[in-house]
Amino acid sequence: MDPSEVEFLAEKEMVTIVPNFSLDKIYLIGGDLGPFNPGLPVDVPVWLALNLKQRQKCRIVPPEWMDVEKLEEIRDKERKEETFAHIPSPYYMELTKLLLNHASDNIPKADEIRTLVKDIWDTRVAKLRLSADSFITLQEAHAKLDNLTLMEINTTRTFLLDSLNYMYKLRTNMQPRSDAKSQDY
Amino acid sequence: METQSYMPVPPGVGMEENFLSLDDILLSHERLPCRTESAFPRLGFLEKSSDNRDISEGTKMEMPLWLAKGLYERTRRVLSVELPKVYREGWRTVFSADPTVVDLHKMGPYYYGLGSQLLHFHNPENAEIAQTVLQTFIGRFRRTMDSAQNAYNEDTSALVEPLDSLERALFKVGQNGLNAFQRWEMGRASHLTASSLVVNYRKRKITDLQA
Amino acid sequence: MSDAFSEASDLSADDSQDVMTPAELIAKLEEAWLNEKFSPELLESKSEIVECVMEQLTHMEENLQRVRKGDVKASVHRMEIDRIRFVLSSYLRSRLQKIEKFFPHVLEKEKSRAVGDPSFLSPQEFAFAKEYLANTETYLKAVALKHMPPNLQTVDMLKAVPEPCLDSFVFLRVKERQENILVEPEMDEQREYVIDLEEGSQHLIRYRAIAPLVASGAVQLI
Repeated sequence: MDPSEVEFLAEKEMVTIVPNFSLDKIYLIGGDLGPFNPGLPVDVPVWLALNLKQRQKCRIVPPEWMDVEKLEEIRDKERKEETFAHIPSPYYMELTKLLLNHASDNIPKADEIRTLVKDIWDTRVAKLRLSADSFITLQEAHAKLDNLTLMEINTTRTFLLDSLNYMYKLRTNMQPRSDAKSQDY
Repeated sequence: METQSYMPVPPGVGMEENFLSLDDILLSHERLPCRTESAFPRLGFLEKSSDNRDISEGTKMEMPLWLAKGLYERTRRVLSVELPKVYREGWRTVFSADPTVVDLHKMGPYYYGLGSQLLHFHNPENAEIAQTVLQTFIGRFRRTMDSAQNAYNEDTSALVEPLDSLERALFKVGQNGLNAFQRWEMGRASHLTASSLVVNYRKRKITDLQA
Repeated sequence: MSDAFSEASDLSADDSQDVMTPAELIAKLEEAWLNEKFSPELLESKSEIVECVMEQLTHMEENLQRVRKGDVKASVHRMEIDRIRFVLSSYLRSRLQKIEKFFPHVLEKEKSRAVGDPSFLSPQEFAFAKEYLANTETYLKAVALKHMPPNLQTVDMLKAVPEPCLDSFVFLRVKERQENILVEPEMDEQREYVIDLEEGSQHLIRYRAIAPLVASGAVQLI
């Protein structure tokens, strides 16, 4: 999957905005939005929030977890625990990038947040690589991967799945098949 | 986007070959040391080292994998295939000590593929060969993964050099995954570019018009 | 134009037993999209969902025709339509890609389908697969096979094109709790064991072990 497709999924997440315009309810195929009143917070999907922000029609309220103190706590927990720690949003990486790139003026301490999220990401991806290695070395047949996010899976998906496939084929070599399907042409 | 207009057929990797895989076609040209167990009349031209019309029984010669597979029969003694040295006991010991020190490109480059294909010839050491080939892959996995993950925008030739063709394929998909993410992170993923197919098609159309 | 679009919300539910809101319909499409992207084999075609989504899109687009340019609401609707259309095309495209990759096996499965069983292919996909097979055969014949000795002029496509590998691993999220999923050992020294899949948990496991759960919608490939 392309990272932009994972981002596409992240754009469906809801975020709170404070509009500076008024508009009735919008009846979208995917559900109703609004009504919009100047100064009154309202929840919309990220794709719409970013569009309104670009047209200077709203201010985006950062998600609760997008906060230096909270992220520091998450980072420390992530470094301490061996397994993947619980993360407040399955799209933390994508939302950070989207909101910081398009609405950094609405997010206090944007640079610190960027660094913290990157730290969390790096810690988690390093863990992912360790688990991938032990999954292969121990020739496991099943792994529980709670809290792993789609973007994290995605960076190593093809590599890991191809490796497992090759390994599977090399392992079937060890079971001699008397009637191995011959490929005579 | 990872969608491609051309999807190459992957190699079979195990004992089965994929008929339409370019890797497997190249693999089938790897040469194996063989010994004829019966005379091959009028096939002397295959044996470059002598001018004889026939190949006599007991001749040692090299044959490409595809030919050896075609001639070999378990029940009739037509030819026997000897193990290339990298699959023999001496090297197997090296691999079990530390699989990462071996330059599998130089020794291969189809170490895994050929090792699997050799199993067709019922060598008494088949079980050990299969085991070593699998353990070598596992033993080298971490290094393949790390080199693929740590090499964005760097000269990767030294990392790639000692890899077998299968590991090179893995290295490439690992890099693609990492590069796609880093391009996205830097905001370069959002630029749309024309598919190479479309660009080439336009070019061809112009030349067609000129013709 | 307070509510030119509100009528889009009533989906013609009379021709199917399940009443689904448009939002649920879109969610189903997205599930099908991700499952299709990540499963090693071609899944059953969700023709009904595709048709319903198309209907919704056409309906919405017709409404938008009547709206003046620059209307804020209309621009939001257009963005949503574009997003749904993207998922729809990506879904259909990943199916076509798999048909190209596995065409002889896809057609074989279709041939051996019992009367009354639903087809894995939409009528258009079936036509595409047949044409792809015919074109491939004609091409191989023209560039290579006709120059071969007569006894070597055929290629068995079922043998030449690799089958989907059901032993591939997949990532999944559990939507409905499942008990006693058998995990087969990788090595002789290991024993098989069973696991329970808790709702909301995520796993890496062989596709073969959970393929029926993907089909039934109990798990979502990720």
